[in-house]
Amino acid sequence: MTISIPTTVIIMVLGLIGIGIYALLTTRHLLKVIVALQLLVKGAMLALVLAGRLTGQEDLGQSLAITVIIADTIVAVIGMALAVQVRRVIGTLDLRSLTSLRR
Amino acid sequence: MAEPLILLTVGLPWLGALLCWAAGDRHPRLQHTLAVSFSVAAGIAALLLIPFGYERPLVTLPIGGAFGDFTFSPDGLGVFLAAVATVIGSLAVIFSVDYMRGEAQLGRYYAFVLFFIGAMVGLVLTTNLLLMFVFWEITALTSYALISFHNDDPKAVAGGIKALIITQFGGLGLLIGALVLFAHTGSYDILAVIANPGLLPAGALAWMAFGCLAAAAAKSAQFPFQTWLPDAMEAPTPISALIHAATMVNAGVYLLARFFPAFEGVPGWREAVMAVGMLSALLAAVMAIVATDLKRVLAYSTVSQLGYMVYAVGAGGVFAAQFHLLSHSVFKALLFLGAGAVIHSVGTRDMRQMGGLGKKMPFVRLVFVIGALALAGLPVLNGFWSKELILEAGLEHGNPLWMLIVMLVVSGLTAFYTFRMVWLVFYGQQRAELHAHEAGTAMKVALAPLAFGTLTTWLLAGSFSRLLSESLPAHPISAHSTGEILLEVLTAPVTLIAVLVIGLGLAAWWQRDRLTGFAPALAGIGKAAANSFGFEAVNRAVVVVMEDSAEKLRSTQTGMLSWNVASLLVALIVVLAILALGVGLP
Repeated sequence: MTISIPTTVIIMVLGLIGIGIYALLTTRHLLKVIVALQLLVKGAMLALVLAGRLTGQEDLGQSLAITVIIADTIVAVIGMALAVQVRRVIGTLDLRSLTSLRR
Repeated sequence: MAEPLILLTVGLPWLGALLCWAAGDRHPRLQHTLAVSFSVAAGIAALLLIPFGYERPLVTLPIGGAFGDFTFSPDGLGVFLAAVATVIGSLAVIFSVDYMRGEAQLGRYYAFVLFFIGAMVGLVLTTNLLLMFVFWEITALTSYALISFHNDDPKAVAGGIKALIITQFGGLGLLIGALVLFAHTGSYDILAVIANPGLLPAGALAWMAFGCLAAAAAKSAQFPFQTWLPDAMEAPTPISALIHAATMVNAGVYLLARFFPAFEGVPGWREAVMAVGMLSALLAAVMAIVATDLKRVLAYSTVSQLGYMVYAVGAGGVFAAQFHLLSHSVFKALLFLGAGAVIHSVGTRDMRQMGGLGKKMPFVRLVFVIGALALAGLPVLNGFWSKELILEAGLEHGNPLWMLIVMLVVSGLTAFYTFRMVWLVFYGQQRAELHAHEAGTAMKVALAPLAFGTLTTWLLAGSFSRLLSESLPAHPISAHSTGEILLEVLTAPVTLIAVLVIGLGLAAWWQRDRLTGFAPALAGIGKAAANSFGFEAVNRAVVVVMEDSAEKLRSTQTGMLSWNVASLLVALIVVLAILALGVGLP
């Protein structure tokens, strides 16, 4: 039995997104949230490349993927910078104690 | 050539807003200079745009895909309102240089004012109903932010929130209209539906028509939403002059006038519009008679005069409505800015404490009296001609006569409260120890052109009617020369009756001492008027319900990231399920 390349990629996409969402749902650590977001977005990026490939618009899919990489990097950098500040100001990275914005 | 001008008229104020904000509050002089120069530049661009009103070039900003292109088209209605917004906007900004001197957070103030001016221009120039809705809401948002500018004053904050909630409530009507239009035609193009209302089935058109009426009533503070405007008077006075007298509140009248050819045939729509206008004009005029706050009197008179315009649109007098809009913008901005000069000078808005201020502020008295005479509708000033045109329109097209009679009575009431206001502020004995001083230079620079405009804009009647009739083929407007229009007004029997009624209103004020016998009989009405005839309660109920439900929804904001992710996941599953079930896109 042979598995085609698109099927492999789809499995990878679903796997990455699944792991990302699972981690987002369960983790309570801010840095792990950032890691989980990275996994999630990488899955979405891969899906973009695949979609471009399957519809014959490879250039569009890949340029979108590059855009996502840039945006994602910025999110990660700012997220980590915020995490550092949160650790300094509040003294913890536990998400349960980060609800002070609510009121 | 028109394309860059349109983009400049919208873009210059927005650029100025950014720069004023970026300049920082440590450089107030720079902020004043930036605000004045950008608003004046926008005013010049808008005036240069007027000649293009005849050609109606279409400017398209492709934004790709779902919402249709953003299109702008300067036709008569659009360029005229854009000019009003930017020119009066720049005068209000110039006035602010004196009025807001020494205030903290000027960056926020000027940024919102300029943002508002740009949005107002966009609102009147766009031909995409969705984009119009976006601009519509931007003006509501900036209005809220400026009413609540003094955000340490609970009254100002409450007034701003009330204005925001009520105008948003009406804005839903416009959104419904836009969505109905899109659902049936697949585009948000306004011009198409105006040229051919048959594009939409009758039922859908009725939804759109009454949705737009609700939006217009909320925006223009018309019955039954009229109570937010008096509360909005907590705003700095140049804001009241610009947003709550000369421009934003006209957006409702603009919307009705713009869509008049499309909605004209909807059964009951014209009657409903006329009834809304008439009730607003009448109730607000009565409330103005008993109010003691100078700015509230002006606010009620704005509601009342907007009622005249709405009535005129319903009566089929689109030109009369727009001409009165022009007159009203000029003389009401003048009155508000004049009142601003008085308030800035004496530090109170209570007319019972004023009196005899005319001797200390002769210039302000002069311009204020000019504006007041125009508001009362006395001959030769611009308010006279436009108000008479409205009353004349009320006679045509088989409109109900009793409504016209009510409007005539209102013109008498207008004269009465206008003279009461002028007298309480500028004449008679000084009733309290107030330190008054004459207006500053920047204030005078802003007031003088408005006073000049009040004396002269009626001379534009001919060219204005030509502009509107040539650029709005679907509207029932015919071009006449200024002379023809003036002669028509002078020879109409309604004019004579109206002048008599206005004179009666004046006489009632002069003879007020002899009329005291009626006072007990009228006390009940006065009491009801002071409470806004109970509609204040209705409006407050809307606000309270909104705030309560928002407070209840707060519990859904857990602040826990995991919950947010879980709801994202649920939404994703719902979307996937809908796609899997095969609910195809059209």
